[in-house]
Amino acid sequence: MKREGVFVIVGVLVFASVVFAQTFGVKKRALKADEFGNVVINNFSEKNDIAPVVFKHWLHRLHYTCRLCHVDLGFAMEAGGTEIREEDNRNGLYCGACHHKGKEAFPAEKKHRSGKKTKDCDRCHSYGKDVKFEKDFYESVKGFPRARFGNKVDWLIAEEKGQIKLKDYLEGITIKRKALKIPLDTEIKSQELGMPDIIFSHKKHAVWNGCELCHPEIFGVKKGVTVYSMQDIFEGKFCGACHGKVAFVNQDCQLCHTKEVY
Amino acid sequence: MKFKTILVIILFILFVCSMKAIAQKWKFPPLPPPSQYGNLLINRTSEKKGEKAVTFSHWSHRTRHTCRVCHFELDFEMKVNTTEITEEKNKKGQYCGACHDNDKVFGHTKEHCKKCHNGNIAYGEEKFKDLDPIPKTKFGNMVNWVEAIKEGHIQPKQTILDEEYEPMKFNKLLKLESNWTMIPPAIFPHEEHKQWLDCSNCHPDIFNVKKKTTKHFEMMYILEGKFCGACHLNVAFPLNNCKRCHPDMKG
Repeated sequence: MKREGVFVIVGVLVFASVVFAQTFGVKKRALKADEFGNVVINNFSEKNDIAPVVFKHWLHRLHYTCRLCHVDLGFAMEAGGTEIREEDNRNGLYCGACHHKGKEAFPAEKKHRSGKKTKDCDRCHSYGKDVKFEKDFYESVKGFPRARFGNKVDWLIAEEKGQIKLKDYLEGITIKRKALKIPLDTEIKSQELGMPDIIFSHKKHAVWNGCELCHPEIFGVKKGVTVYSMQDIFEGKFCGACHGKVAFVNQDCQLCHTKEVY
Repeated sequence: MKFKTILVIILFILFVCSMKAIAQKWKFPPLPPPSQYGNLLINRTSEKKGEKAVTFSHWSHRTRHTCRVCHFELDFEMKVNTTEITEEKNKKGQYCGACHDNDKVFGHTKEHCKKCHNGNIAYGEEKFKDLDPIPKTKFGNMVNWVEAIKEGHIQPKQTILDEEYEPMKFNKLLKLESNWTMIPPAIFPHEEHKQWLDCSNCHPDIFNVKKKTTKHFEMMYILEGKFCGACHLNVAFPLNNCKRCHPDMKG
């Protein structure tokens, strides 16, 4: 027994050194524009003998705000964090809010007039499958303003220009609230000497997120209380909750660090 | 008892192997002639498809474009044969085709095949003498590319896609203390790197931005192509040029 234990430890050490050796100090492959923001959800799929779900942020944000799903429909901010079950969807929760009865989007199961039922499983449970999708990424974003990273689409300007119209409320599904007055831009001091300060626009964020997606959990609301570094952000905390995974990536330094420092 | 001896033998073998590896690693990679330093043969699919490998010269491209243009704007990866360049994509204006379109420069058409698909790593050597007026250094291309910009010998473009691009105003000089007592610190200038690169070329993949983690940038790793070695092994000036990073080094 003892001997096996030692072999396991040696094996783990060798494996760890090989893996570790490859994952620091080198450039990672950048995701392609159509891959960025795609998320694989596999809490229960494979256990139930069905392909995991590939969720495409780009496809959904052509029509809806982030807030609608991540606040009103209660989706967590990490893949697999929501633990969605088929039953939930059938009860009109999560994906089922739109993809069940089929008013807002295609339903998982369609009942035809003839009484025949057809299933549309592959359109979501598509991981590892060769599925022909209705919408092609590059076709869908043709003519949209360009960005440097991620989907290479400037979603903010696309919305401002009216190229996409975002729904923030679903008739009969979510509850409407009167919008709050949006606070002014905030200046966030950079911790690094000589690094330009950050101008944070509440207005630009509120279009997509409202207030409640960020406050009070990700960012407290008392001034100066939430202290964070770029490293935290790269690790997916604070701004990194969205920026880097779904919203424009953190390598786009100048997009946030915009204030001249002398 | 028997088991212990086996373990000792295994550890001894591992130790010898690692010492051998260290001794080998400390040999800098051999340097090609200056006119071929930074040249590559790209052969991901060429020969499989009956074409000769593509010759690519970093020096001839960097007289007109900074690293940023290809390695950031045009999505070229940092290792040869890892970028999925295809004839189709080139003809669509991606990768090489962004410039090589028969309009800006010769395109991906029949009469020009051999200009790239020639399998000759020394191709275009005769033009190397055009770089003669540029100040010299000791290794690599033996051309001081930083001075070349400063003195106006070359004006490489920082962008071809974004007219409004401006490099970030951040010029911090870093002093990286050496791990070894006798070696003076390395001095890292953001300014000189910024002229060629985008922040994102290095941060946060190659270098995270956490303070006091610089002690991990050991020469051993750099020699493996990590950290500074991503560029300074075979494209930017090579590691043989100790004093250029460790300016107080003697000899």
